[in-house]
Amino acid sequence: MTLSLMKIPRSVDIEITNGCNLRCTYCSHFSAAGDVDRDLPTEEWRRFFAELGRHGVMNVTLSGGEPFYRQDLQDIVASIVENRMRFAILSNGTLIEPEMASFLAATGRCDSVQVSIDGAIDITHDSFRGEGNFVKAVNGIRTLQRSGVPVTVRVTIHRKNVRELDSIASLLLDGIGLSSFSTNAASYMGLCRKNTELTQLTAEERSLAMETMLELVEKYPGRISATAGPLAEALMWAEMKEASRLKNPRMEERGFLTGCGGPFSNMAVRADGAFVPCSQLGHIVLGQINRDDLLDIWQNHPLLWQFRNRRLIPLSSFEFCRDCPYADYCTGNCPALAYNLTGEINHPSPDACLRLFEQQGGRLPERLLHPTPVT
Amino acid sequence: MSESLDTKITANPLIVLREEFDDWALLFNPDTGNTFALNPMGVFIWKILEQGELSSAITRKVCESTQDAPPDAEKQVEDFVLEIVRLGLARKEGERDS
Repeated sequence: MTLSLMKIPRSVDIEITNGCNLRCTYCSHFSAAGDVDRDLPTEEWRRFFAELGRHGVMNVTLSGGEPFYRQDLQDIVASIVENRMRFAILSNGTLIEPEMASFLAATGRCDSVQVSIDGAIDITHDSFRGEGNFVKAVNGIRTLQRSGVPVTVRVTIHRKNVRELDSIASLLLDGIGLSSFSTNAASYMGLCRKNTELTQLTAEERSLAMETMLELVEKYPGRISATAGPLAEALMWAEMKEASRLKNPRMEERGFLTGCGGPFSNMAVRADGAFVPCSQLGHIVLGQINRDDLLDIWQNHPLLWQFRNRRLIPLSSFEFCRDCPYADYCTGNCPALAYNLTGEINHPSPDACLRLFEQQGGRLPERLLHPTPVT
Repeated sequence: MSESLDTKITANPLIVLREEFDDWALLFNPDTGNTFALNPMGVFIWKILEQGELSSAITRKVCESTQDAPPDAEKQVEDFVLEIVRLGLARKEGERDS
């Protein structure tokens, strides 16, 4: 039941700026708990990267806001490189210039720039991200490709693109020529909470998304992935349903709030320099960079240990899970979603509840429940 | 002993040593993203390499540090150090006898 704790985080997620040129309808920021109104100067980040390097942190993921919104991004990246780390950048793709792309490529340390693309055509993508941004994002991807920067795409599945997923996959994999992309879904965080009716999938749409994504996974083997959203849920829920049907014993690492292993290997920092356990849990402040010692916070902070120890809380202790036939096979899923939906971190996320999904009329894809026998 | 007897070997300064709670560690090459696991003896040797040391001295220090060194300890240390060099994690310098 216990994951082994690393002596120091393997990677650190940094919201390098709270600024962004867009206001996407389902952004997990802007009205999220822990939003801040100031960015740190370059020098503060330099000092912090030196500390990360001394301790042997291997990877930094820069997000925002929009990382390319910062005028000093090259200086920030240079400091990461100087301190013997690799980096990734999460971006809306609209501000990527050739000079910047060349710089990133020249570092040799960029694992990826992940660009958000949510439509096969501009109308779909721009419906929630603003007019003109589809073309800019695709141009951003092409700029990165021309410079040789590893580029990936994240597709956020929502109500307006759920019937366009096959076209999106074709655009990304056949048209733009990406090696792969990943998906998630508009989730009840940040601005999405104000726009849930517009953006979040109904149970019926979720079922459709699962079916479509599984077809696409078969069509493009090994090129589509998901750690959240309909594809990930379909695979996990089918496994849970089968285990329940067979009345299997409790699965390893299931039946407890084990849905997040992040706090055993990762940590996050807000744009104002506050240490937080995860970018989506920005209200849990653990300390401040360049004032508090990273190692001490990582190894000793009581709030971080509380967060890690949620893995010891059985799902059977929640009224929400009472008499659930899937409880022994469930992880309770994302603590940030649980917090946003219930006000409690130590609670299973209702968004990831198979029983609730079925009660709402959701159906898992037949191909998972009754796989075609191999002949 | 092999030709590496009098060769000074120094850890590549780019390589990061990430020590873990169980006294094992990872060597991380940020240019490639590759990681290599080290057991406690490997960590001991790596720390010698960080200072730069003749390969014969490395073997001697290892043997001095353990009470029940196996008969082939010298060969094991040599092989380990040569593998470290082959992987680009350390470099030979200033060979005295060529």
